[in-house]
Amino acid sequence: MSTVLTQTPAETHTAPARQSWQAIFALARFESRKLLLRIPVLFMLAAYVAWIVWRTKSGWYGYPALQDVDRATQTGPLLVGFAVLLCVNQAVLRSQRHDTERLFGVLVLEPWRRTAAHALSILPVTGLVVLGVAAQFGWQAVKSTAVGNGSVGELLVGPLCVLLCGAIGLLMARLVPKPFAIPVAAVLLLVFSVLAPVSIGGGDATAWLTPIVGEGSSKTIPSDLIGRPAVSHALYLTGLALALALLAVLIGKGRTKTSTAVLAGSLAGAIALGVVGGVGQAAGVSSETVAARTVATLNPQKVQSCVRHGRSTYCAFPEWVPRTATWAEVTDHVQSLAGGTAQTRKLLVQQRVEARYGMEADGAIEPSTTPNQVTVRTMWGGPRTPEFSAAVASVLVLGNEKAGGDVCDGRMVTIMWLALGWTSDPVTELRAVRLSDTVTGSSMVLSPTNGMTMTAGQTSVVRELLAAGPSTVTPKVKAHWAELTAPKVTTAKVAQLLGVKAPGGADKCE
Amino acid sequence: MTRESGETEQAGVQPPSTARVLAQLTRPVLRALPVRGLAATAAVALLIAALPRLLSDEPDQWSALIALRAAALTFALGLAFVLDDPARDLTSSVPTRRILRTTLRVALVAPFAAAWWTAAVLLIPSKIRPPVGDMTLEAAAAAVLSLAAAAAALRFTAEPEPGQRVAAGFLVIALVSPLALPNDWGMYVSPVEKPWGVGHDHWAMVLVGAVAVWAACGPEPVRRRRLIPT
Amino acid sequence: MTTTVSAAGLSLRYGLTTALDDVSLRLTEGVTGLLGPNGAGKTTLLRVLATAVPADEGTFTVLGHDPRTPAGRQETRRVLGYLPQTPGFHPDFSAFDFVDYVAILKELTDRTARHNEVRRVLAEVDLSDVRGKRIKKLSGGMRQRVALAAALVGDPGFLVLDEPTVGLDPEQRMRFRELIARAGEGRTVLLSTHQTEDVAMLCHRVVVMAVGRVRFDGTPAELTARAAGRVWSSSERDPNAKAGWRTGLGVFRNVGDPPPGAELVEPTLEDGYLLTLDGMHAEATA
Repeated sequence: MSTVLTQTPAETHTAPARQSWQAIFALARFESRKLLLRIPVLFMLAAYVAWIVWRTKSGWYGYPALQDVDRATQTGPLLVGFAVLLCVNQAVLRSQRHDTERLFGVLVLEPWRRTAAHALSILPVTGLVVLGVAAQFGWQAVKSTAVGNGSVGELLVGPLCVLLCGAIGLLMARLVPKPFAIPVAAVLLLVFSVLAPVSIGGGDATAWLTPIVGEGSSKTIPSDLIGRPAVSHALYLTGLALALALLAVLIGKGRTKTSTAVLAGSLAGAIALGVVGGVGQAAGVSSETVAARTVATLNPQKVQSCVRHGRSTYCAFPEWVPRTATWAEVTDHVQSLAGGTAQTRKLLVQQRVEARYGMEADGAIEPSTTPNQVTVRTMWGGPRTPEFSAAVASVLVLGNEKAGGDVCDGRMVTIMWLALGWTSDPVTELRAVRLSDTVTGSSMVLSPTNGMTMTAGQTSVVRELLAAGPSTVTPKVKAHWAELTAPKVTTAKVAQLLGVKAPGGADKCE
Repeated sequence: MTRESGETEQAGVQPPSTARVLAQLTRPVLRALPVRGLAATAAVALLIAALPRLLSDEPDQWSALIALRAAALTFALGLAFVLDDPARDLTSSVPTRRILRTTLRVALVAPFAAAWWTAAVLLIPSKIRPPVGDMTLEAAAAAVLSLAAAAAALRFTAEPEPGQRVAAGFLVIALVSPLALPNDWGMYVSPVEKPWGVGHDHWAMVLVGAVAVWAACGPEPVRRRRLIPT
Repeated sequence: MTTTVSAAGLSLRYGLTTALDDVSLRLTEGVTGLLGPNGAGKTTLLRVLATAVPADEGTFTVLGHDPRTPAGRQETRRVLGYLPQTPGFHPDFSAFDFVDYVAILKELTDRTARHNEVRRVLAEVDLSDVRGKRIKKLSGGMRQRVALAAALVGDPGFLVLDEPTVGLDPEQRMRFRELIARAGEGRTVLLSTHQTEDVAMLCHRVVVMAVGRVRFDGTPAELTARAAGRVWSSSERDPNAKAGWRTGLGVFRNVGDPPPGAELVEPTLEDGYLLTLDGMHAEATA
């Protein structure tokens, strides 16, 4: 028996620091499993998936620009973040609620380490959100019709918001350890964020302090002109989330001097990171971007590349070059319905954008006065396709784009026939291209630049032509092309030439 | 402590009336209520109602509507804790029925809730105030729904303090329902939109349904009903 | 002795687990002990008898009242006092206020009489000095006594106590046993415990439960007698014994079928209990 006691017990202390870190990770694994199985978290994850499916199915008419898609991934994760906020808070308060703090408080793993484990437990849920963001972005990116470039900074905002929500829940649990505190604080935060005067995007330095910053308009511009400080904002959010979580850990009891020093140092580092990000994002739009925006708006040919498809040339911003083939298809369809010289005319389709205000506001684009030049914008699909089709048709019939705003005679019928006659569902396209979303009565017709007007009579003639179909109408169009495109030809004459019922009443333009 | 048998037999002695019991219970139950929690919640809810005034010189109708709805939601979250009772096990075998005790708690909170709602409505400038009757209906429906959820938790689980989970679940549902419910049900629209009237019929149905759930979850079952007879 | 509480065929299932399986017993005045291992169904039986949870099948009556109807249940609760396993309190209430609150819930509405009753009951459990102190400032033993006072207030005819001496030090436990013994005079007390000394010192009847069923129902002497001639001591652990353990004197005490020539010793209640349970373990693991 006496030999047992002479052994020194020093060997029992094997690397305590490493062991306590392993213990933190083990506890973090345990807590993250419990967090993932909580009902609010599961419910919100399901809601997030439903949101992704709903957003992706109905978005951008099947022609996404990735610099819009990355911003669209940001609001969905807030659903998950909200559940994480509530559940992390409840998890930290659990030992207080069930009166086990008296035991846990004196175990080997100190309270501050337990808080650190709770902080780490947020990571797996964030990982799931990362998967969701990747799926939502990837789903659009793999489409052959997608153009543009996404930004990693924008894509990170969603998951970082979830981290931030978890950090807030953690900190609140340490500051106000009462169960009603976090639901009530969550509502307050939400209402404050909704009601606080919001400055959109660019100018205001404080605007970027909120996690998700929207934009004034929903248009698409080339990704290098957007001017949003995505990377700085991501750094700011990371620093903020880390700082809040480290603060919560620092409040916990039982720290030694070295661990306090390490934690305080990390907190300082996180705050520094947040400040760097915050300063970076408040810097506003750089002068190079402003200059680039002006060039892109006023002299786009300096930055565009031009491609020939068939007879016509298509000039587009570098990111849209793949889409020129789609534009060419529509142009060729419209031209095939025309007659005379219009059938073989060489057109120049140029992409134009109003980028001088960045994403804050939208602006109209002046129609070009150059003959045989058509303007196309950055968005496509849905109503945008027949709008472009109408612009091509107007240039073929009238010679240039500007004339479209003044035309008020039977040539509108020719233009609308060329624009819609080749489509597979012409009546739906007619409804989409008209401002009033109707197929009867007078209305404005939208195009990439300025609009044109159709009277009620012209509308009914066009409806009849569309009902008759290209096989009957096209030969007549080609045969009477010169008369159909003569200035001041009346709608009645056009109707008679094409063999459909003439409308009552003369042409009256508003 | 020795008990002479027959000495305190209550044969022939009428049990006291419910009213007397409830009158005597008032003071201890008032002390047992989570008064500080409710007060803090009510204070934050009033702050939320005051946000349109605080954040902008010219608040508009829409922000007043959002603020008042959020204030009602916050107060309803506080109400989820009213039925918490740490001594639930110990008081499970007393003659005073559970539904009487929970109704007493609610009755004690009701005047405070009415006063709070009046203050919240008054905090909204009268120019932009939404129709007060309809908003009171919404707030009442939210409050009773929260209490009914707590009552259901008491009925179906043995948890003595279900408030925290009930509040979390209620909050999640309250945030997802404006996004998920169709607009023409009219429950989350603004007063100028057409479905407002229909929406408030729906709110009345929610209120009635919540009262029914409260009443159904009140009694403690004498027999256990088994879903699958074995 | 007349039967004051009788139960017949009580059964209760939680999902797939059978908590109570056809339990029947009859209690008389005095203290009856309920022994059994964890998971035996003791707490469930006590909760059923305290009308905290209804049984799936079976009936029972308490002092002539049948709790199967709402009115009957009210009557039953008027003569009942229940001390649950982990009693919860309102920590900010003083001991007096808390017992007063439970007294009101037991429908003692005359304030003067009720306050006298509360004072009496607190004096019985020796808490008169601290009755104004808040419960969160009381020690664990004092809190248990507050819970016992809450069970005793209103002078119930049937007391249900679920492991009331858990966590108390020996002196506190002795005082508690004294209180329970006094309470058992003129009342029916059902005391659940897994400490055989409590039963040996307090109870005139003992019921042993295991795996939801009653395994023994009789006097402590009869339970001890089960082990007569079946307990022996040896210098080494006997592999044939059903249970054996080292005593403080360095010898082993064995329970089971003694080999010939073994040194028999006086059996205690615990030996009888272990022998009764031994058959159950085989059954439970079968």
